[in-house]
Formats: sequence, C-alpha cells, structure tokens
Amino acid sequence: MLLLIQYTIIFTAILSLVALGGCFSEHSGVINLGLEGTMVIGAMGGALLMRMLPDGTPVFLIVILVILISIVVGMLYSCLLAVSAIHCKADQTIIGTAMNLLGVAVATVIVKAINLSINPDDPSSIVQYVAEKQAFLVNIGDFEFNWFSLIALVALIGSYVVLYKTRFGLRLCACGEHPQAADSVGINVYKMRWAGVLISGMLGGLGGIAYIIAGASEWKFENGVAGFGFLALAVMIFGEWKPHKILMAALVFGFFRALGNVYSGIDFLSNLNIPSAFYTMLPYIISLVILVFTSKKSRAPKAEGIPYDKGVR
Amino acid sequence: MENAYAIEMLNITKKFPGIIANDNITLQLKKGEIHALLGENGAGKSTLMSVLFGLYTPEEGIIKKDGKEVKISNPNDANDLGIGMVHQHFKLVECFSVLDNIIMGVEPVKNGFLDKSVARKKVTELSEKYGLHVDPDAIIENITVGMQQRTEILKMLYRDNEVLIFDEPTAVLTPQEISELLQIMKNLAAEGKSILFITHKLAEIMEVADRCTVIRKGKYIGTVDVKTSSPAELSALMVGRDVNFHVEKKPQELKDVILSVENMSVAGEPGKQDVIKNVSMKVRGGEIVCLAGIDGNGQSEFVYALSGLLPVKSGKIKLCGKEIQNMSIRKRSMSGMSHIPEDRHKHGMVLDYPLEDNMILQTYFKPNFTSKFGFLKRKNIRSFSDRLIEMYDVRSGQGSVTIARAMSGGNQQKAIIAREIDKEPELLIAVQPTRGLDVGAIEFIHKQLVAQRDAGKAVLLVSLELDEVMDVPDRILVMYEGEIVGEFDPKAVSQEELGLYMAGAKKDEVKV
Amino acid sequence: MKKNILKNNGFQTLLASLVCIVLGILIGFLVLLMIEPSGAFDAIMSIVKNFLNYSRANLQIKNLGKTLVKTAPLLMCSLSILFSYKVGLFNIGAAGQYVVGACASLYAAIAWQWGWLPCLLLACVASGAVGALVGAMKAYFNVNEVISGIMLNWIALYVTNMILGNVKAASNPYTRVLAEANKSAILPTMGLDRVFGLQYVSIAIPLAILFAVLVWVVMNKTKFGYELRATGLNKNAAKYCGMAENRNIILSLAISGALAGLGAAFLYLTDIEQWKCTVSAVPQMGFNGIAAAFLGGLSPIGTIFASFFIQHITEGGTQVDMTMYCSQISDLISAIIIYLCGFTAFLKLAMNKAIAKFESKNAKERSTK
Repeated sequence: MLLLIQYTIIFTAILSLVALGGCFSEHSGVINLGLEGTMVIGAMGGALLMRMLPDGTPVFLIVILVILISIVVGMLYSCLLAVSAIHCKADQTIIGTAMNLLGVAVATVIVKAINLSINPDDPSSIVQYVAEKQAFLVNIGDFEFNWFSLIALVALIGSYVVLYKTRFGLRLCACGEHPQAADSVGINVYKMRWAGVLISGMLGGLGGIAYIIAGASEWKFENGVAGFGFLALAVMIFGEWKPHKILMAALVFGFFRALGNVYSGIDFLSNLNIPSAFYTMLPYIISLVILVFTSKKSRAPKAEGIPYDKGVR
Repeated sequence: MENAYAIEMLNITKKFPGIIANDNITLQLKKGEIHALLGENGAGKSTLMSVLFGLYTPEEGIIKKDGKEVKISNPNDANDLGIGMVHQHFKLVECFSVLDNIIMGVEPVKNGFLDKSVARKKVTELSEKYGLHVDPDAIIENITVGMQQRTEILKMLYRDNEVLIFDEPTAVLTPQEISELLQIMKNLAAEGKSILFITHKLAEIMEVADRCTVIRKGKYIGTVDVKTSSPAELSALMVGRDVNFHVEKKPQELKDVILSVENMSVAGEPGKQDVIKNVSMKVRGGEIVCLAGIDGNGQSEFVYALSGLLPVKSGKIKLCGKEIQNMSIRKRSMSGMSHIPEDRHKHGMVLDYPLEDNMILQTYFKPNFTSKFGFLKRKNIRSFSDRLIEMYDVRSGQGSVTIARAMSGGNQQKAIIAREIDKEPELLIAVQPTRGLDVGAIEFIHKQLVAQRDAGKAVLLVSLELDEVMDVPDRILVMYEGEIVGEFDPKAVSQEELGLYMAGAKKDEVKV
Repeated sequence: MKKNILKNNGFQTLLASLVCIVLGILIGFLVLLMIEPSGAFDAIMSIVKNFLNYSRANLQIKNLGKTLVKTAPLLMCSLSILFSYKVGLFNIGAAGQYVVGACASLYAAIAWQWGWLPCLLLACVASGAVGALVGAMKAYFNVNEVISGIMLNWIALYVTNMILGNVKAASNPYTRVLAEANKSAILPTMGLDRVFGLQYVSIAIPLAILFAVLVWVVMNKTKFGYELRATGLNKNAAKYCGMAENRNIILSLAISGALAGLGAAFLYLTDIEQWKCTVSAVPQMGFNGIAAAFLGGLSPIGTIFASFFIQHITEGGTQVDMTMYCSQISDLISAIIIYLCGFTAFLKLAMNKAIAKFESKNAKERSTK
C-alpha cells in the first residue's frame, strides 16, 4: 500500500509538470503536441549527464545539474515548435507529431553513437544511472521520497501565482484568448508565445527526466516515454487548463498509472487474475473514457492553434 | 503660439498590391472637437486609421501631433502619444473581467504582483466622472454590448489618452444606447478630449460632430463644417451621386401561409436561459417579412432553428403545412427552404472550392449532377454554373473555375443568392444579405428579394440596418431577447418607435 | 501570355517536397558528421543508394523487391493519413490501426487457418472499426482525434501482444512463420516473386498502387469525395448545406483505419516479417506514413513516389556501417522531413510573394522602356 502511495505521488508529480507545460503553451495560444518528444529529449540530456558525472559528485550538485540540463535541453528543443508555429504559421499538429518522432530518433541516434564509441560491441540505446538516481531519492522509513514531487508542487503553486497574480500571466492568457486585443494594447504577441512555448519546453524536459528516474535505473531510449506526454495532455484537458484542477486530474491518472506498477503486490488485485497487460493499458483506457466525458464542454483557450498574423484583424 | 490641431495627417498615400487604399488624404483634428470621418464601406477609413496607429506604413505623407511631426510605427507609439481607439470589433478578452481588460498592457505592479486596488479606484472614479456606470469586476462575456463598449472607452481614459477614435461605434447599439453614447462623447469633448468619429450614419454626424471629413474610394473629397451643411450634402459627397434609397415594389398580393412557427423555443448554452422563448409567427407567400432587432437578440438562433443548424427545444415549424422541426437540414432544403446565411465565409461557401463547386453546394447530390454510381457529372456542373454566372452577373476572374476565395465579397454574395434562388424555394431566408457590400450590390440584392415576393414566394429577411428594415419589407417583426415584441407596417411606423421596441423599452402582445 | 510554371500549384508542391528531401538528407549528413566524420559520407550514400549499394544486378533487383514489399504497407498507411486529412482530421491513430490489422490478419491466418482473402477482409474490418471508434468519439464527444488516437495506439499494442501471444512460436517471441503454419494465408505472387527473385514480392504491391488510384478517384470524381473535401475545407459550410457531418467524420476515419489495417496485412501476409509479441513500441510504419503523405503533397499519386522514397531511405538506413552508426538515422531523416513539411504552406506563400514582386518589377521596367 505504501508503494502504491509512493508511485501515485511520483506519477502525479510528473503528469502535473508536463501538463503544466502544455498549459503554459496553450494559454499563450500554441498547441504543443510535441511534449512527448520534448520529454524524451529532456530525459536524454539528464541521463547522459548523470552517466558522465564523476563518481563522488556531491548529491546536491547532481540534482541541480541534472535538472538544469534537462530544462535547457527541453527549452532548446521546444524552439523547433516556436519557430515554426509562431513565425511560419505551420500546422501545429504536424509539427508536434514530427517533434515526437524526432525526439525518439535523435535520442536513439545520439545514445547509440555514444554507446558505440565507448564500447564497439554495445549497439544499444540504454543509459544506466544506478548510483546517480539515488541522489533524487530520500528514504523516510520504507517510503521513498522523490525530490521531483516537491519540484512539481512548487511548479503547481508557482504556475497558479504566475498565471493569475502577475502581469506576465495576464498578458500570456490574453494572447491565447484574443491576440488581437493583446496586440492593440501594445503586448508583443510573438514574444509572449515564445515565452509560453519555452516554459512548456522547460517543464516538458523536467517531466522527462523525472519520468525515467521514477522508473528504473536505466532507460532504453528507443522506447521513448510510452505516450506519457499525451497522457499529460489528457490531464491538462481534464484539468481545464487550470493549475489547481490539473493537480486533481493528475492524481486520478497518477493513481491508475501507479496501479500498473504495483498491483501484483496488492493481494486483492493479484487474486483477480487479470493479465498484467490490462493494468499497463489502464491509464490509456481511463484517459479515453474521461476525455469522452469532458471534451464536449471543454473550454480551451479560444485562439489556440491559430497562428497570429499582425496583418489580419 | 500653441497649435490648434491635436492630430494632423497630411497627404497620406497607402497602396496595396493592385489597389490604392488611401490616395493623398489629409485629415486635421482640432483640439476639443468632435470630428467625423465619413465614407462608405471600403472607402479607406479603416486603412487611414491603421496608418494612424502604426499598423501600416504609408508610402507618402506625414503625421503631426500638436504641430510636431511624429513617427508612428506600431500601436505602442500611438499609445505613447495619447491616441486611443474603440475598435468596431471590440478588442476585449471575453473571459477576463472589465478591470483586467482595462489594465491590460499598463498593469500596476507591486513587488512583482498585480496590484489591482489602485487600478480599481481609478476606474471607478473615471466611470463616475463620465457617467459610464461600469462594474469593474463583471466578466466581459456576461455584460451587454453597450457595457463592453464603455469598457473600451474606459480603457482609453485609464491611459489618459487625449485623442479618442471611435470606429463605427453605433453599429451594434440600440437607439437609446446610441443617444447615451453620443452624450458621453459630448462630455468627453467638453473635458478637452479630441474625438475622431468614424461612421456612415448621417444623423449621428449632424447631432454631435463639429466638422466632417469625407472620403470616397480612397480619395479625399473634402472637409465641411457640419453646422452649415445638410444630410443631403454630406450624402452626396459620400456616394458621389444622389441615392434613391427607395425600393420599387408592386402592389402586394398575399397568398397562403408558407412558413408557420408555433410556440418555438430554442435552448441556450447549458446553464443559461433559452435563446428563443415561445415564439410564434407566420410568413405568407407574396410578402417580405423583416425580423428586426439589435444584434444578438436571438435572430441568428431563430434562423438556425428554422434551417436545422440548431435543434428546437419545443414547438413546431411548418413549411407549406408540413411539420419540419425534426427534419434534417437537407430535407428542409429539399422541401422548399433556401437560406442565405449571415456569414458567407463561415457557412455560405467553401472558399477553397472553385466557383462551380460552390454553385452546386445545395444540389450536388441531385441526379443532374451525380450519376447513379456516385460520380460527379462535371459537364452538367460546368454548364449549370456558367448559366447562373451569366444570369446573376457574377464577376470572377476565370468564370466557373475561379477559386471562390479570389472573388470580391459582393460577387461571392451574388453567387450565393444565385444558388439559393435558383433552387426555386417557397421560402427564402436572407440574413443580413447586404452586410459589407457597396451600394450597387445592395440594390441588386434588394431587387432579387422583391422579385421573389412578386413571384408569390415567402421571404424572411433578417436585418440590423434600419434603412433596410424600413424600406424593403411589407411587415416588420421586432425581436428582443428571444421574443417577438412588436409587429409593424413599415409605412406606419417611425424609426424612433421601432427603436423603443428593439431596445426592450416597449412591448406588445403579438398575435399570429 | 506564357503561364509561369512557378505559379502552378502542383509544381510548387513538387518543389517544396524536393526542398524537404534535400534539407532532410543534408541535416542527416550533418548528424552523421558529428557522430563520426570519417564514415559520414559513405553512410549517407548507403542510405540514399539503398539497393544500389549492391554491385550485382540480381542482388540489386532482389533488394529493390525487398524495399517494394515494405513500400506497399507504407503506401497504405500514408493513404490512410491522407484520406482522413482531406476531411480535416489527423489520424495519428493509423499507427495503432496498423497494429490491429496485423493482429487480425495473423490471428485469423494462424489460429483459424483462414485463406489470405478473408484474412485481408478481417484486417480491414477490425482496423476500420477502431478508426470508426476514433471518429465516433470525435463526432459525438468532441474528443481530439490526435489524443484519442495515441491512447488507442498503446491499447492496440498491448492487446495485440496479448492476443498474438497465443499463436507465437515455441522457441522465440515471434508469431509462427506462415510458410509452416498456414501456406494458404500467404498472399499470391502472380509471378512477381520470380521477377524479383524474392518470394515475398506479392500482389500487395500492385494492390496498394490500385488503392492509391482508387483513393484519388473517390476524392476527386465522386459525390462522396466532394462531400469529404468540403467538410475538410469548411466544416460549417458542409453542415449548412446538409452534409451529414458526423457520418462523414466516422466514415472517413473508418476508411482511413481500414486502409492502415490492410497495409499491415499486406506486410505480414507476405511472411517477410513476423510479429514480435514482446515489442514495447508502436511500429514505425504508421508514423512513416505521415511523412510519406505530406511529402507526397497530400496527393494519392504523389504519395506513391513519396512512400517509395521514405521506404528507400529506411531500408538504406539498415545498410550503414553499424560499427559507427545506427539504422535509426533514417527515422531521424523522415522525422525531419515531416517537420519541414509543416513549412510547405509557408514556403509556397513565400514563393508566390517572390514571383509577384519579380513580375511587378518586370512590368515596371517594361513600362519605363
């Protein structure tokens, strides 16, 4: 049971981080379907750094550096979306899809190249980080506390404050709702959208590294992040693009995701003799069901997905 | 010596590919005056204002503020110079509060956080000073259009703007709201604000403006002193010829009831009240009935319910005696209903289809155009389209194969009208069929509506333009907040009287 | 007056696609250079040359055959993407519908010993049903088809692994080889196998091309296509003139799904590959279909060539020097190509602007003379 709580917390944290990423981008008016790819790239950045750091690096330094690199890499990657969607009026769905495919391909190519250069007999796309992973965990009795849970909590509160209590948030939301209105009072829509997408990349990258650390102590990059970026988007829709509701939505999804990891340890569930694949599928099924019930009345930012053109008004 | 002009735009020329939108236009706005800018749709008023706001850079000409030449390259520059504008389509974020909309762009901040208390105080003070009565905490989407416009005015006042521009501000208002707005404008001018008032409504100019600049087809026609001028003179300047507003009609020959609506209600958005409340009405063959009212009082929803785009909550719709309220859109259309939609780009056309494919939008499935095996008969489609183009004088670059997007608005509308009338409907529903068109096209469309009436068909016209409401129909029904509140003979009612009904100040029990 | 060929929409599309290809390969080359400069040129050449890497003619033709065998399913997947995209829907779920097609055809072939034709039909129906499900959720519940498609991709993958686990070989995680399990389920070859010297070359290839032509005919020559394109271009107008919007959404996604499912059957019923029941990622085929569809300028005929090209470089990718690089470099190139395809509209706009500028300049010069 403790394990279930532990996993629920960490998956909720990851989903919240990535969903908030989607939230910032969409509030600025850009749909970020490329979060999945951004997660992979962020995860790759962090994982490679963890492997390269010399043994005996202070725990504190590991945490800070890994987080920093994931954020930076995620932001850089999201520039692909920003440039195309904000300046070239590209179809945001195609670009997002391309970014997801590209993320996995780039990570695989890079990791394999590095693996090969270290050991010519190792053509895998696996990165190990057994020791470094411990830097992110604090054991409180049997409970494993993950620093990312705290980071996610801070991000949630921070996002709420930024979106609703600051000048930046007011302007950001205006750009996603009615960019012409924002422009007419001197707000630079392009700049705000860049900000939205970059924050989105930052949170996506952070979510990526958090995801692979929560899993095992090694990661095979050919597999990407198994649709987690899209689950986060479902969380965002379910959470009505609002940080406090995103937390609630993430809790629901996080719980079902955790169930897949630990169900065998819960007597009641393992006695049911349901094949393990069912539990693996559960989050996806739940998200479909929830989308069916929530999409009809969803209130997305009005101008999302529509390229802004100064000339047209 | 202090300069008498707040803003001077001297010899402005702005060209677009293939068109000169502004050709050597000069506009001088005196301090503390209300200056009208008069011109038809497409005369170049919006372009001129966009130049003033730095949205376009003119090829020639200069702008002066208080006698000094200034360079305005974006709206921020205009803001910094104290120039503000109430746009025709409000620039308000609907899910924000009034206050948030007002402070947006110039937000007061304390320790990095928004400090709304200062702003709220200033807004309340301004609101009281000019008699605007706006609640700063109301959400935009919940307040009336008039209040939204006042929010826009407060936006300018909050920024201490000295030059206020109103772009067609009365188009969306009730007559009562209009007179209140004109009073507010007078108050503002009395306080020393300089006002530029863009409009094509002569009566309003006569009431508030001190001077009036007229432009026509991108050219500067002249500036006149309003007190020494007359509506007839202004009108002649605006259109360049005397316009006969009157629509020629044969004496009426009423036929059987074609459309009959009985106690129809249409549900609003979830949690809100019905948009159409228990409405009953009839349209007979040989008459044009006009559904008048201020925009957003349920006219659109009423027509959507008739045509099947919105479901009916309760009540009946009968077309030639047959109940149609549960029929599909297609079946209603086949039963003799044609619908010229309000928004030709949204509903009326597939803009990326060639003209011929748009001409068959309502009939493509008929045996004339589709073979038994589901293949399109291209030859028939072409000759059909060519015929309509010829008959209705639809002008397009390459005839039937022209992509609809490349056509002018007037010709797009003509094509839609050709398509809908050629179906030989019993009932023709025309929603704002002349919106945004030039005088020639308007005349053509009115003639077509009257021709349908004279042929014994029923015509339901939905219009927001008072001129059209008074001139075209045989009978007027006024709709207010989803109910029909009055029925009139256009020959026996004054515009003022209609205005009272449209604003909900008066209400009759309307018998069917 | 002579019509400027540069203004022709089809020509612009072709040009834009070529630019995407060249840039994609160039970026791929740069990546290879960064990994290991010494072999980069050889590697990019192996990718571009694919079957031409072999010096002997019979080997060349055999490997061309191998590429073609995999082009057929790719073409079906890209037709699937294209079909729904014309209606304004992005069926990223094609990848999962492809998986369902594999599941249905292989299970029917091995467990029920069905012949190839019923197997194809079952794949068609099963994948079509999944497509219809996405459509129904979109039509009746306004569920974003991209997100529901992705969710269904993963569900399809896990379900397929579970079902096909029942018909897998005893010694490895792959499904049983059809040549042993049920010969009648293997697609007929009609002599194509002898032409290419490869037994896997079957009627799937001409069939796929036939489907491309069929899609073109349906889209451009029929009432149904007229409705679908109208819905894709202006949903509101389609509704206004009484087209059954929901029916069209569901139908087009069902057809889209069926095309993808057939694609899978076109691959697995040749017996060239078996399904790996432990696979943990959705097969790339459906996603490559996106690249091929856009690279082909969203035209069914253009897609034939684009599919061949994408498969060509994907196969070429398996021939790079594995001691230095990995085959995923081809995935990287196709992903870059999809990304660049997002810019085609922008590119065309820029082209038209440049032409207009050039022409007005010319006109001015002429008038001054």
